Amino acid sequence: MTASTTRRRFLRLLGLGSGGALLAACAQPAPAAPTAAPKTEAKPAAQPTAAAAQPAAAAATPAEAAKAPAQAAKVPAGPVKIGVLAARAGVTAAVGQAGQRATEWWAERVNKEGGILGRQVQLVIEEESNPKDTVDRYRKLVLQDQVDVVVGGISTGVTLAVGPVAEEMGTPLLMWDGTTQNGIEETIEDPKWIFRSADNEVEAIGAALLTPKYFPNVKTVAGIGNDYSYGRDLWATYQAILKRSMPAVEFVLELFPKLGDTDFTSQIAAIRQAGPDLMMCSFWSGDAPIIMKQAAAVNLFDGMKGVFTTAGGVHDALKKEFTPEGLLLGYNSMYFDDPKASPLLKQFVADYRSKYNEYPAYECDHAFFCAEAYKAGVEKASRAANEWPSKEQVVKGIEGIEVESLSGRRMMREDHVMMGTWFQGLTTHKNAYDFVTIDPVESLPTTRIQKPAGAKLMDWIGTMPL
Amino acid sequence: MSNVVDVLLSGVFAASILFLVAAGLQVVFGVLKIFNLACGSFYALGAYVGVSAVNWSLAAGLPRPLFVLALVGGGLALAFVGPIVERLLRTVYDRDEAFQLLLTFAVVLMLEDVTQLVWGTAPYSTGALYLSYGQALILGSTVPVYNLLVIGASVLIAVGLGLVLTRTRWGRIVRATADNREMAEALGVNMRRVYVQVFTLGTVLGTLGGALVIPSTTAISEMGIELIVQAFAVVVIGGLGSMRGALVGALIVGVLRAVAIATRPEVEMLLIYLIVIGVLVVRPRGLFGGAAA
Repeated sequence: MTASTTRRRFLRLLGLGSGGALLAACAQPAPAAPTAAPKTEAKPAAQPTAAAAQPAAAAATPAEAAKAPAQAAKVPAGPVKIGVLAARAGVTAAVGQAGQRATEWWAERVNKEGGILGRQVQLVIEEESNPKDTVDRYRKLVLQDQVDVVVGGISTGVTLAVGPVAEEMGTPLLMWDGTTQNGIEETIEDPKWIFRSADNEVEAIGAALLTPKYFPNVKTVAGIGNDYSYGRDLWATYQAILKRSMPAVEFVLELFPKLGDTDFTSQIAAIRQAGPDLMMCSFWSGDAPIIMKQAAAVNLFDGMKGVFTTAGGVHDALKKEFTPEGLLLGYNSMYFDDPKASPLLKQFVADYRSKYNEYPAYECDHAFFCAEAYKAGVEKASRAANEWPSKEQVVKGIEGIEVESLSGRRMMREDHVMMGTWFQGLTTHKNAYDFVTIDPVESLPTTRIQKPAGAKLMDWIGTMPL
Repeated sequence: MSNVVDVLLSGVFAASILFLVAAGLQVVFGVLKIFNLACGSFYALGAYVGVSAVNWSLAAGLPRPLFVLALVGGGLALAFVGPIVERLLRTVYDRDEAFQLLLTFAVVLMLEDVTQLVWGTAPYSTGALYLSYGQALILGSTVPVYNLLVIGASVLIAVGLGLVLTRTRWGRIVRATADNREMAEALGVNMRRVYVQVFTLGTVLGTLGGALVIPSTTAISEMGIELIVQAFAVVVIGGLGSMRGALVGALIVGVLRAVAIATRPEVEMLLIYLIVIGVLVVRPRGLFGGAAA
């Protein structure tokens, strides 16, 4: 090849290549792969028709009969359609899958018990990918499939875009893990149709509250998180609380590798160089076991404490061989091995284990709660309306509703934010699994770690009880 | 001192993987004149097959310390992908570069879906095998022996490639083809065969890179796209089509990133692209540009 053609070709290629890379980047803003085609699955109801279940409900115990509509004739025929937005590809795939599985488990269970007011539940599953495509699929669920409600949504980047559309379209949307926060600023102060997950920051708030208790002698802290809103906001929140509770602590290093990075040896070298007493890490996907393994390979946690606010979401990948004991580990809203587990959670874990050969992670709880809150909202509203309630009536019914979820009693706050209990604790190897669990288990209710309705996060952190 | 060694070795470790992928990119561009974006997918494919090969062979009774053989075997076995993809690319050899890039990008997307179909979307890893070779103490710094092994393997491959390309008859044919396709063809070189061979070599460099790195990390389906962006920087700095360029470019990108992360983490990627711009301004052909494959 001659020099001149090389240069020209090379510069053109560079331009084209950058274009290609840009294309790739545009096609998958953070956690969504551009490739997975939208797939629709209409899950047939486990029970053939609602008709068979209807008389059974009417003839049930007095308590159950009270729940059923007084006039069964006013309940429309046909199934209740629930749209599900579940991530299938990229870093959120595993979380989306967990949410979808729990929703299917819920639907099967509800259908076996006669459905919602006698109507069977039918799931219409769509993929959550990038914001634009997900908005289109949300529209399709509402307009074409004519679902009664939509549940799902993990990435706040996506739900930020879906939220305003849902407000316009007038069909309730209950988000599993997504919020409508731009960073820590709420973008929809007074939503009518959408219900949101608790703030992303509750995990960092919980971990920061527990840090002085378990690691009182820490003097220097380093932070590592993914290079986007979640990683940076959690670190800012954690620091803000520690500055109040442990004012002597010095923050010596902050690292924000890209979401999707798979090699942290350089970051670990930087952490060793900084030599902090404690490392706070908000990794929540496949990167959590990677950094754990690469840290173990150089004994990073010999003499250093660790706080992993969210890694409990991939708990079964945290193998004992490379995950030390004594790290503070957050499981979000559900801890599968909770010694105080309800019979519902025990049943769910057993079913999940036998069906998928895995132990469920927290997204199952959010998904179960959203579906159950909808069901309870419909039942509550129908008692007032004395018929199958309108979508407006259902939304009113869901406000303030309290239901039994996998993790225990959970509530949908009046301002449409889900409440519950978050679980964190110190990692231990004393269990029957090949991965770590936690002991003791600290319960952190959202009444303690979620900012009150209408409050600004950092203002509230400045005055919250520590 | 130990901190400096830590940082440098972490950089060299990253560079050794980057080199394998960039070398695959270079050898293919040198001869076929196609900028193969799919080299990142070969890397990801190598990673997945590496995990499967290790799991399968350990279950079949391979002694644990020999798992690295399964990785190499898995990476090499993927050579069969090369001729298939090359056959696909043959349709655009004489087309505009834009078509070539679009087609290789299409291959990236297809292979990503293939990995998801075969291995699912959950992260896939070899568990704690990474730690089974223990640690070495180098100038007071603790280094995983496996990292040293990967660096060593990469050096061996670099030396081997150099020898093959400069000392063997096949190497001379490849270099001649890279230099002047028409002349080589006129002299009786079977171009179609050389293309297939070279593309397969480029493929194996990528799959081997992916297979070797996987014990230290976890396979995720989009891991290839992440790497291709860095490989871009490597070939621009080193010079497109140059093997020495791939080596030096990978070292510059790998080590400087590690130094940046340890000193000024916020400028990590900025620094790399500043160097890219600097090279483009001062030596637009790259540090080793113009040299044959």
